[in-house]
Amino acid sequence: MAKQVECPECGATVELDDDVISGEIVECPDCAVELEVTSVDPLEVELAPEEDEDWGE
Amino acid sequence: MPDPVVLLERMLAIPSLSGQEDALAAYLVQAMEGLGFRARVDEAGNAVGERGEGPIEVVLLGHMDTVPGHIPVRREGVRLYGRGAVDAKGPLANFILAAAAVGLPPGVKLVVVGAVEEEAATSAGARHVLDRYRPAAVIIGEPSGGDRITVGYKGRLLIDYHVSLGAAHSARDEETACERAINYWLWAKGFAEAYGAAETRRFDRVDCALRSMASGSDGLVEWATMGIALRLPLGFPADAFQEAARAAAGTAEVAFRGYEAAYRADKNNPLVRALLAAIRAQGGQPRFTVKTGTSDMNVVGPAWQCPIVAYGPGDSDLDHTPDEHIELDEYRRTITVLTEALRHLVADLAPR
Repeated sequence: MAKQVECPECGATVELDDDVISGEIVECPDCAVELEVTSVDPLEVELAPEEDEDWGE
Repeated sequence: MPDPVVLLERMLAIPSLSGQEDALAAYLVQAMEGLGFRARVDEAGNAVGERGEGPIEVVLLGHMDTVPGHIPVRREGVRLYGRGAVDAKGPLANFILAAAAVGLPPGVKLVVVGAVEEEAATSAGARHVLDRYRPAAVIIGEPSGGDRITVGYKGRLLIDYHVSLGAAHSARDEETACERAINYWLWAKGFAEAYGAAETRRFDRVDCALRSMASGSDGLVEWATMGIALRLPLGFPADAFQEAARAAAGTAEVAFRGYEAAYRADKNNPLVRALLAAIRAQGGQPRFTVKTGTSDMNVVGPAWQCPIVAYGPGDSDLDHTPDEHIELDEYRRTITVLTEALRHLVADLAPR
């Protein structure tokens, strides 16, 4: 049975595989924000590090 | 372990323009041997150092060459100046020192490559190692900044345009070679502005730059040339574009070179997790970034199809500038980050 957690951005329920690991990055199916699994027991997620753009190299 | 700053200073003091990396390669081989690597200069001129033995390969692919422009090597307070300090001798020195410091479990080989000709449109050094390794993870040595992990680069296509026409009196109502060239530039620029116009990020649009132009006449023939550089987003239809660009050129000659497709790496893998954890462990706030330029990630990423990022100290705003320097605190800290990340990574990848 999949584990469930609430998206901190939009409140949607995000289902994660049983074998999810800490540090995994998943996408919220509702708002598409990237979430980082910060703990598996208890299951917790945070917004994943932001992505910007830069020039180079 | 040598003083990290001294190692970088010595690297900066050896000029290494693209195609002229021999002296730096010889120095790096000697330095890596002193740190316990099996080191050599390979057939392409790359400086290669290996540690450990086994089927699981982790490749740290930096580059030795720099763009032109001599900058006297000097320390000013917490800064070290020199051509290549940021792009990319700082990241390469980081690779050597971190790879030397990490303990390797059985079955894991760590490979540091100081490649030639990354700054040229050939990427000859990276292409040479393509068939020689099948890595489980790759880090490209480019300046992301200590807290940032680069996960994508735009693609590139260079256009060399040349038109020659029979010389005509300027009072006649005929398009000159210069006008023909300018009109072609306007076509290319218009194409670039229209493609992906709705996208908000430069990473997802086409950038177009007029890099060079010249014209002349011998009284019988007048001519004009241009060098145009396009930076390409993911999924750009390069073949169809080249067909359209040839058609738009009419009787002018166009040659295409330096093509690299854009590349976007996955974030969900042991390599990224190891770097995120290591950045945080040093008090950093990790971020991801995508770059509007290209790097050797564009060459090896599609071929190796494994976890890949670019990471290294330095502010890429200083790439190719007369003010190129590295902040020594960040340089030292990224050695620690990278060492810690490699420690996590090799433990994760080691055969069980």
